[in-house]
Amino acid sequence: MHPALWMVACFLAFVPHVGRTDDKATKEVPCCAPVNAAFFADEVWAKVGALECLKCHKVGGDAEDTQFVLLDPKRVQGDEQAEALRSNREAFTRMARAKEGDQSRLLLKVVGGLDHGGKQVLKPDSAGHKVLMEFVRRLYAPLPKSPVPADLTNAPPFFEGVAMLDDRRLLRRITLSLSGRLPTDTELAEVSRDGLKAVPTLVDSVLKEDAFYDRLREGFNDIFLTVGYDDVPENALSYEHFSTTRGWTQKFDLSHITDEAERRKAGYKLSDDYRKAMLGEPMKLIEHIVRNDRSFTEIITADYIMVTPYTARGYGIYEELKPTFKNPDDPLEYVPVKLKALISRDKRDDQESATGFYPHAGILSTFQYMKRYPTTETNRNRLRARMYFQQFLGIDVLELAARVSDAAAVTAKFEIPTMQASECVVCHKTIDPVAGLFQDYWKFEGVYGRRKGGWFTDMFGAGFEGEDLPAEERWRSLQWLGERTAKDPRFASTMVEHVYYILTGRKMLQPPKDLEDPLFAAKQRAYQEQRKTVERIATKFAQTGFNLKEVFKDWVVSDFYRADGLATVAANPQRQTELDDLGVVRMLAPEQVERKVAAIFGKPWGRLHEQTAMLYGGIDSKEVTERATDPSGAMGAIQRILSNDVACKHVALDFSREPAARLLFPNIEPDVLPGSSPENDAKIRQAIVHLHQRIIGRSDAVDSPEVERSYQLFAGVVSDASQRKGIDPREAYSCRQGLLAEVPDPKYTVRAWRAVVTYLLRHQEFLYE
Amino acid sequence: MRRDFLKLCGLAGLGFACSGGLSSLLRADTKEQAPYEGPYYVVFNASGGWDTTYLMDPKGIGGINRLYEEGDILTQGNHKFAPTEKHKTGGMSNEEFYKDFGSELLVLNGLDYSVNNHSPGARYMATGKLDSLAYPTFAALVAACKGPTCPLSFLTFGNYSATGNIVAMSRVPYLPSLQRIANADSIEGNQRSPYHDDFALVRIEQAMKDQHDARIKQPALPRQERAESMLYAAQVNSKAMERITPHIPKNVPKERLAQQGEIALASFKAGVCVSANLSIGQFDSHANNDVDQMKLLPEFLAGVAYFIRRAEELQIRDKLVVVIQSEMGRTPTYNQGKGKDHWSIGSIMFIGPGIKGNRVLGATDEKQFGVAIDPKSLALDKEKGIRVRPEHIHEALRQFAGIADHTHSKKFPLGVADKELLQGFWG
Repeated sequence: MHPALWMVACFLAFVPHVGRTDDKATKEVPCCAPVNAAFFADEVWAKVGALECLKCHKVGGDAEDTQFVLLDPKRVQGDEQAEALRSNREAFTRMARAKEGDQSRLLLKVVGGLDHGGKQVLKPDSAGHKVLMEFVRRLYAPLPKSPVPADLTNAPPFFEGVAMLDDRRLLRRITLSLSGRLPTDTELAEVSRDGLKAVPTLVDSVLKEDAFYDRLREGFNDIFLTVGYDDVPENALSYEHFSTTRGWTQKFDLSHITDEAERRKAGYKLSDDYRKAMLGEPMKLIEHIVRNDRSFTEIITADYIMVTPYTARGYGIYEELKPTFKNPDDPLEYVPVKLKALISRDKRDDQESATGFYPHAGILSTFQYMKRYPTTETNRNRLRARMYFQQFLGIDVLELAARVSDAAAVTAKFEIPTMQASECVVCHKTIDPVAGLFQDYWKFEGVYGRRKGGWFTDMFGAGFEGEDLPAEERWRSLQWLGERTAKDPRFASTMVEHVYYILTGRKMLQPPKDLEDPLFAAKQRAYQEQRKTVERIATKFAQTGFNLKEVFKDWVVSDFYRADGLATVAANPQRQTELDDLGVVRMLAPEQVERKVAAIFGKPWGRLHEQTAMLYGGIDSKEVTERATDPSGAMGAIQRILSNDVACKHVALDFSREPAARLLFPNIEPDVLPGSSPENDAKIRQAIVHLHQRIIGRSDAVDSPEVERSYQLFAGVVSDASQRKGIDPREAYSCRQGLLAEVPDPKYTVRAWRAVVTYLLRHQEFLYE
Repeated sequence: MRRDFLKLCGLAGLGFACSGGLSSLLRADTKEQAPYEGPYYVVFNASGGWDTTYLMDPKGIGGINRLYEEGDILTQGNHKFAPTEKHKTGGMSNEEFYKDFGSELLVLNGLDYSVNNHSPGARYMATGKLDSLAYPTFAALVAACKGPTCPLSFLTFGNYSATGNIVAMSRVPYLPSLQRIANADSIEGNQRSPYHDDFALVRIEQAMKDQHDARIKQPALPRQERAESMLYAAQVNSKAMERITPHIPKNVPKERLAQQGEIALASFKAGVCVSANLSIGQFDSHANNDVDQMKLLPEFLAGVAYFIRRAEELQIRDKLVVVIQSEMGRTPTYNQGKGKDHWSIGSIMFIGPGIKGNRVLGATDEKQFGVAIDPKSLALDKEKGIRVRPEHIHEALRQFAGIADHTHSKKFPLGVADKELLQGFWG
């Protein structure tokens, strides 16, 4: 039941108690508890507690030493979340009932009274303050002041009226998205026979394909961006520790290649392969974990890294690893390995290690990650800490920075503002301890290296959310962090959100903040519906040993992934707002477009790379780190070039193949003319149905308006051409290159088919997911 | 149905509700759009945090600056500025910049960024809203209001560039890329080699339009509606890209800002662009502040000057509104590494038609704290004045651009009370 409905039901059930509630209500009357629980969860906690109070009033927060300490429901799962909310409600209740004079301390504190450490959190009479006033009022008179808004009581089921993708198209979406191919006939037959329940099993197979792992690495690089560090790739291996090995390609003996130009070329390839292998290591760790069904917590706990024969040479461990490789000459064959503790050029800088090994902590301790998020003298590893929170716990600490009444004055007033000024402490008490955990990775140019004179004392000490790092754990501080992260429910939720990002290209909704917004309730509902699904998948993810494949399988059959339309127009602004983020509707990234062209036409377009890819909204993982989500005019131009060019390259080529080998036109020949006979028109329409299915994934009926439109295009072009004089009886020069057999075009049908394919390639169904 | 949808959008406050926004996109047809003829808005951003005391807010006292004393401060009309001619390592000195542009330049000192971090600071300065990730930058907002159907309506080369889902963002990293996509219907951009005969192309475009018209009549999820409209508009309007070709310079300049500037200028001149974010980084001078700032500020000013001069050559300078900003300032004291850390007080500058130059508003005191001003008179008023923050600037910018009452602007209110509106800010 929707919480609001529960509230109303309870209200009606306990009306007789009205009027009998007095000050003795400090002992909660049982009948009133459900009312307050729902009101607390939906109003007090959602609008004030979670957004404001929890920033400081938690273990590890600036107000952890007060009597008002709250629990973060996101840090627990299942029933414990309800328990955390109950505990928070009690804390709020105690604070609300405590009085200063005749006023509730809760209401006084929140507006900055009673020397509140967090100063003024809410303005008097702001929407948030009114929520607390109502909360206090209900403690003494547990009745809603006004009837519950009708829009909440009448809320339909969230997905009511939302049309879901049919199972065949869902399968096409999945295979194209995850493995860059069309579904096979067998797979389609299975899903046609068994419906949605067949999908998980089919997805199991997809998740074993190599192409899926290409997509997996690409998707997670969009999140971690580890290929984008600012240096030549081999310099991830620091000079201090790998000075004699990291540049091995420069000394590699290629003397057996006698031709100088060839030798130089081989040298370039050697170097390129080495660099590619070095850049690929962190994402290959993710592939290794998922491919082998290992616990995905290993992305932050794995006590190994992935190396290839080429990168192993850079680390100086190739000879000992050589027997491990299936093919020691393959620059991109990755195997797991545990590095020994680093030996420095200066003995004093040798890495401390109680085990003799490098304290690997999944991606977090890889050299590439450290290089991608470097530290500086003043930054003091805070960037790394910030990225850790964002990437592993889903918390953007800079997302909504607290406004400071006079930041400059605060900076000037305190000797150490980050430890003394409450405005600064609120974030730094969380960030700085984690920054301290990276303290042994202090070298700006290299990676590992301790700070001379020890770690900063004008920062909160190393630790994690209220727990100090024991001194004896310092050498393995990132492992210590990784162990805690893996147990944190926010980790599971964040990984579920990452998979959603990979599947949809956008982040999960954030909780609405503007309590004055008339659409707040609708936005809140949309957010909560997403959260419910995330929590459900995350709980299962944790229960099944953190197998990431399960998360992909759960998302793709979820209503959020399958939502594909509306049965009727959403009739009111609230409903429109609830549905605003629904549906995948993702503009494909350059890499995805190339894969889709390859899946449909047999080979990629081959032009959406480098500058053109950037122009088409791609990323370089350095400066540009977020993909474009909407097409600009420049991108519209590229879409037109693509549709023109791909059609040009493939239409005549397809006709030049034997019919059985054709991808586009298996059942029609160019000599079938529109309007020449009913049979020929039927053939043409069937050919169009096939094109619609193959290129835009639509199962249109022969007599559908969509097929009719394509037919009219085809027939119209042929008709226009017939009325022109001097039309060349052959395809355009550029479009008849590389044919397997001559394809004459005396009636202009080949070019008319090319117009149809061009038209279809410009459709949303092709360019979007 | 289309009317219903627009009505609903308006009621729901959705991203495409404004008359110039989605409705324009929905109206888009195969006719080539008329060129956008200005004003053109360009925001120059010194990413990382500039040292305003080495530019428009000179101090020379209390150890704030090591390269000059208070007595060395120079003037140009009503402007005061730090001397940099002797210290610059390239680019344009303050002396040169003020000589060329002082009479047109409006400066506001004592701007309160409110925060000390790059990311929130950049967001706040770009949008006028600190505590929301949903707000569009000014450049995106003005593009959405004034030219939503321009193919490169909002160009960005970095800095915070959120669009609020009201306009597509264009990143065009290199000049040659523009050339390649300018003639999309011709093989390799050669207009003499079209992919399709003209009659076939007309048929394709007509089929696209028919398909689009049919599509938007069907009930769909809001995201589907937006995607369909934006996609169709992007493809149709991309034809206007052809107009850029004549304005692409043969020689690509080497300087960072000049390269970005040429792309923006060509797009402005061709009438396919409303606004552009231009940005260079590395201003975050925590170490060796003076060395870095003396390299970067002159480079930055040279980029601004280059842009304005080229706009003059292209005869669009009289339609050019220039905003010059950074996301934070630098502390009044040096740290142990001769650097300066983040400071939440700074400055902003403007040049453009309708902006009265040779003026300096606001101030910082001798310790580089902001001084409040009276929003009515704009005079300093330490006791009763207001701290000028980014939302005040953005509200003024919206009014200046004539978009303050636009539906898009109303969807993203800045919350500036009437009594805090900066009156007569533009002169």
